Amino acid sequence: MIAALVGEAAAADETASLKGGRRAAERALAAIDPIAYAASRNHLDGAVTRLSPYLRHGILSLDEVRNHALASVADPRQAEKFIQELAWRDYWQRIYLVHPDRIWNDVESYKTGFDASEYDSELPADVVEGRTGVACIDQFIAMLYETGYLHNHARMYLAAYVVHWRRVRWQAGAVWFLEHLLDADPASNNLSWQWVASTFSKKPYIFNLDNVAKYTGHDINTRMADNRVLALSYERLGELLFPNLEPAHG
Amino acid sequence: MADLIWLHEGALRRTHPVFAAAAPGTAAIFVWDRARFAAGHVGARRQLFIAETLAELEIEIHEGDAAVLLPQLVAAHGANRLLVPASPDPAIIGQIATIRQAMPRVAVEQVEDTAFVTLPREPDLARFFRYWNKARKSALRPHGV
Repeated sequence: MIAALVGEAAAADETASLKGGRRAAERALAAIDPIAYAASRNHLDGAVTRLSPYLRHGILSLDEVRNHALASVADPRQAEKFIQELAWRDYWQRIYLVHPDRIWNDVESYKTGFDASEYDSELPADVVEGRTGVACIDQFIAMLYETGYLHNHARMYLAAYVVHWRRVRWQAGAVWFLEHLLDADPASNNLSWQWVASTFSKKPYIFNLDNVAKYTGHDINTRMADNRVLALSYERLGELLFPNLEPAHG
Repeated sequence: MADLIWLHEGALRRTHPVFAAAAPGTAAIFVWDRARFAAGHVGARRQLFIAETLAELEIEIHEGDAAVLLPQLVAAHGANRLLVPASPDPAIIGQIATIRQAMPRVAVEQVEDTAFVTLPREPDLARFFRYWNKARKSALRPHGV
């Protein structure tokens, strides 16, 4: 039966890079470096661990990963940044259990100057097809499809682009990610989309091309000519994306 | 007491406390539930990942609706207790409720995973840092104690 299931799923997807199973999970766990993680995790080529698919499926527990991280450093504070990221998963799972209604419903109103009804409920075809014409966005979409994994920053960029540049409801983007990410978890995924959208945060998350250039390597196209809609100051982006909001002072 | 373990896609390891809670040698079952996968937006790549994980686990696998199959499997195994890793997933919680109704004489028990942090009371979940401020000390200790 398993052979049939693996064969069937593999036929649908021949490019998965991360393998399932406890042995692969243990190899990934043995390779973590909490100190390097703390120093470089915000960069797309940083020392991120890719443990999330194993944690999502309970192949590794948060407890054992934390214990491993603590054992690999001299002082617990050296592993704090890494352990805090594990805590995010614990936090999302707690919300999922206590408030399951928050997973698909807006926790709060949008703080974008728009009502939820002003957002499209479907992803535009060019986003689904990865041909938005915004070079770095199209590369992140291709990465999502090719690997089933995205660095956290790439997730935030894509989510912000979908919700704020294209004015699409976060739920449509959340489904899209759930269908393609190996670590897809309704709580972590959807509540993070809500954080970007501002329905679970004080303000919408946006980024600009300078930010992408800061955190990505040469393999991501951050040329201004190929990413025009991102190549603006935060002030200008705020005016364009949220025209109903009062400009921020100070 | 004869036990049976229902492992689902949120707890795919043999070191999960559900195994320690069961009698030694208890069989574990996974139900490949296409309807639940579809409702949960589980794509082809994740299905492959789950299947690869199951291949290593060497457990019994059945295909169908977990809520329908499990009462039959409990009967077939002669079990009078079904142990399930605790899950926040409403689809799994709903199936557990259906299974309980279908076999009122069989105990259905959820077993929590090892705790990440130990907190004196339920934390404020309104924002992450309210939770983290309470959880930090425990999180930075081995076993969260």
